[in-house]
Amino acid sequence: MSATTDRPRYLAGRPREALNVVVHDLDVPTALIDLAGVEKTYRMGKVDYRALRGVDLSISGGEMVAVVGPSGSGKSTILNMITGIDRPTAGTVTFDGRRLDEMSEEELAVWRGAHVGIIFQFFQLLPTLSALENAVLPLDFLHRSSKRERFERARHNLELVGLGEKVDHLPAELSGGEQQRVAIARSIAADPRLIVGDEPTGNLDTATAGEMFELLEQLNREGKTILFVTHDRELAARAQRVVEIRDGRVVDG
Amino acid sequence: MLSASLRKSVTDLSRRRARTVFSVLTLAIAVASISFLAIPTLIDRAMQEEVRAGRLADVTLTMRPVELTDEQLAELAGLANVAAVEARSSVDVRVLVGERRAPARVIGVRDFARQGVDLVRVESGAFPGSRELLADVQDANVGVYDGDAGDTLAVVGGAGGLADFVVSGRGRSLPGGEQVQDEDVIVLYAPSETVAALSGDAGYDALALRLDDPGPDSAPATVERVRRYLATVPGFAGLSDLPEIRAPGDWPGKADTETFAQLLSVITILALLSALVLISNTMSTLVAEQTREIGVMRAVGARRHQVALIYVRTTLLLGVLGALVGIGLGIVLSSLLASYFGSLFWAIDVGFGVDPIVLLVSILVGLLAPPLAALPAIRRGLRVELREALEASGSALGEQGTADRLLRRAGFLPRVMQIGLRNVGRRKRRSLATALIVALAVGNLLAVLALAEAATKSTRMSWGDHLEDVQISTGGRALFDERAKRVIRSTPGVAEAEPVLKNTVALEGKEAFVWGVEREPLFRYRLAGGRWFTADEERAREQVAVIERNIAQIVGVERGGRVTLATAAGDADFRIVGIAKNQQEDGTALYVPLTTARALLGQPAGASAYWIRTESPDERFVDRTTSRVEDRLAALGYEIGSEIKYVAERDEIAANSSLTTTIAVLGFVIVAMSMVGLANAITTNVLERTREIGILRCIGARARDVRGIFTTEGIALAVAGWLLGVPLGYALTRVLVWLVWEVVDVRVPVVFPPLNILIALIGTVVLALLVLFLPVRRAVRFRPGEALRYA
Repeated sequence: MSATTDRPRYLAGRPREALNVVVHDLDVPTALIDLAGVEKTYRMGKVDYRALRGVDLSISGGEMVAVVGPSGSGKSTILNMITGIDRPTAGTVTFDGRRLDEMSEEELAVWRGAHVGIIFQFFQLLPTLSALENAVLPLDFLHRSSKRERFERARHNLELVGLGEKVDHLPAELSGGEQQRVAIARSIAADPRLIVGDEPTGNLDTATAGEMFELLEQLNREGKTILFVTHDRELAARAQRVVEIRDGRVVDG
Repeated sequence: MLSASLRKSVTDLSRRRARTVFSVLTLAIAVASISFLAIPTLIDRAMQEEVRAGRLADVTLTMRPVELTDEQLAELAGLANVAAVEARSSVDVRVLVGERRAPARVIGVRDFARQGVDLVRVESGAFPGSRELLADVQDANVGVYDGDAGDTLAVVGGAGGLADFVVSGRGRSLPGGEQVQDEDVIVLYAPSETVAALSGDAGYDALALRLDDPGPDSAPATVERVRRYLATVPGFAGLSDLPEIRAPGDWPGKADTETFAQLLSVITILALLSALVLISNTMSTLVAEQTREIGVMRAVGARRHQVALIYVRTTLLLGVLGALVGIGLGIVLSSLLASYFGSLFWAIDVGFGVDPIVLLVSILVGLLAPPLAALPAIRRGLRVELREALEASGSALGEQGTADRLLRRAGFLPRVMQIGLRNVGRRKRRSLATALIVALAVGNLLAVLALAEAATKSTRMSWGDHLEDVQISTGGRALFDERAKRVIRSTPGVAEAEPVLKNTVALEGKEAFVWGVEREPLFRYRLAGGRWFTADEERAREQVAVIERNIAQIVGVERGGRVTLATAAGDADFRIVGIAKNQQEDGTALYVPLTTARALLGQPAGASAYWIRTESPDERFVDRTTSRVEDRLAALGYEIGSEIKYVAERDEIAANSSLTTTIAVLGFVIVAMSMVGLANAITTNVLERTREIGILRCIGARARDVRGIFTTEGIALAVAGWLLGVPLGYALTRVLVWLVWEVVDVRVPVVFPPLNILIALIGTVVLALLVLFLPVRRAVRFRPGEALRYA
């Protein structure tokens, strides 16, 4: 399957600008994501916990990056900074020239809906919604295109992840692997440039994990920037670039 | 050091502060509502004090005016079982209040300094001298006259001239105050000589007695002795009404207070029920979200009863807090309400007080209700298998029932609303309990509104039976005679005037009223069975009666049966020829031929009132004609009172609505509780689904989307509650109507206006939106990062 044919029909032929992607400087190969001097301190009761201690990290568009490191090193915190789920205590986070750390919660929510797809370790589907409804949710929040187009799009994405037969199943009626497929379908709903996975295969058996990873690789081939946290050295090795975090600092990558 | 398990009981409360506050608040409101039951006790206590201080009469006899000498009064006081006697006179006059001539009654006291019974006590100012009047405190309280010491009051004389009196101050007596309340008449006190001058009659028309033994065995015999003595007094023309014998411990309005208390008890029960549902709901939530912790405790060796004890102790702690706050609140609330009613109805100061029994019940309910309500939840929590418990996530997926499948069909709704609606099905028990609490409030509200509507309807119906525009009655001193009839009929504006002779009687010990009326009265009788009396019966003065259905059912009389009426003139046997559906005198009237009533009372031409139809129904025309009739009768020396139909009907409806408003205000406790319940449920849902909110925010949900989800959920619960509340309200209406019938023997129609159902829906939704504000704001305040970390 080629990138063009896999691009959903309703997006075919539309310029990228339609997705609010602004290219600021065409001469310099700018990073899609740029973290500069990012620090994050959590207040846990009476003690401060420094999760990130000055992280500088640049990720270009189209890269597939694995973030590795021991438990508590700050991997997930970095993902939270990049997705605007959390804010840095100091430093700046830039996505395609826009300062995330300066955006309001509302702006961040809308921005995430349009530009980032997140895949969680525990899938995190809404239990009362069917697979199709879960997969269409980000589009519903975006209020973009007609209802019929949104459903068509979500159905297509579910077929893409191999769940075309189970669109009406509730999460509880799906296996772990199937739930994670729904989560991936949901993450690409709005055709975002960046897909972020927090241990996306951590809760799956080896075979299913392999299939999942192939899906991510395919998305990367289609031009998506993929960033994922993992404990699995083997999976990390399949990324183009491995960023290693230790004690809140980037030690390699 | 607290033991670890005790510490857990305590920290379970402190770790979810909002919920603890809600639960304590709910319990406190419920416990406080028990204190409503103390109101009658507090009022009774104050009234007993008032009865003692005012030396309220045990027996009151009303009679046609008769002059009594000091010696005769001393002899009366010397009769066996008579402790003290007080002779009173009275005259009905009209006084100028501003521009208006208002009905007033001047009660004559022989010697203010030496009163033995029904004391008139000075509240402010001084006892009245000659050309002075003392106003009853209730005059100002009820709003008929607010004059005070130093004011001048003009009494309209017989010939229409004015006589000025100075108000010496304000005083009180229980019987006087009762007359102000019941008849809206201005009650004034003056020396007997003033009354004699105003009425032109030096006689006394009432005897108030205090008895050594007021018990039901000796009081009637004493009354008989007094009656026999009076029969020997020259000029004594008989008693004008049945003797009023006060049961020991009774006071004016006590029965009404007790009726009111019964209605309050219905509200109290509803409030308690509501609180129990809420507490058990809270405990279900607490146990459900701690399923994993229960698993952990059991995994490390806790036995079931040890785990159960932790939660029982938690609820006991809730109970202690709730009871403490509730009892404090209850004492304040019941004292305030009792004081309010005390000053409203009797102008007395009730003050702060505690009813020990109510206090004890409050403590017991406060302490025991929460653990009992929590038991089912605790049992459920302990039954979960250990492995399952250890894996429990806390946020329920919910089983997929028919309702859930139906909800999934609602694809036409915006996504946000769909999610909200489906969430209702995730915690079915909690949703049901919340809807139930709302239903209790809606049902209660609908029932109270229906009762108010029914009271208005029955008032309108009973007034609708009256075809006259105004009723002119005598003050009781002397009946209207032929001359009065001629005067009334010849007054310009009067189209028709018909004599009526009303008298109180006792039927099988129950108070009833005999209405002597013409065969074709200015009154619409509605027969449920039998017939009206015939012209022959009227002519022959036969003792036949048409009895109202209400009292017929109470005493068990049927058509064709015979009844014995105890009248002021002795016992009389009547044959019942018909049963009427009308509800005059609260459904206790018997209609007899006017001729028969006259013969019975020995008043061949007498009438206690005239029903007058004016030439025009125009309100101002009726007013003018009434004044004219009043003036002409007054000029001839008649003591008169008038009741203009449209005014009386309006007043009665207003009085009804003020009573139902009071009940509705108290019912607000339940509404408050239901809203606490709704806010509690949604807060719990928000907390429980914090992670989910985080996910939604991660995939692009804006604040208003999250707000929409939880608002939809809350409104759905409120509307479900309303749906359940409508049939509940109907059932409750029937209970209240039945209660009114059982307690006060008044038949109120069951009405259930659809408009009220709509009003309840709007009210429910608006209130729900208000109380949802805080929990929903909480839901959107979570930052996604915090929300995702939340466990």
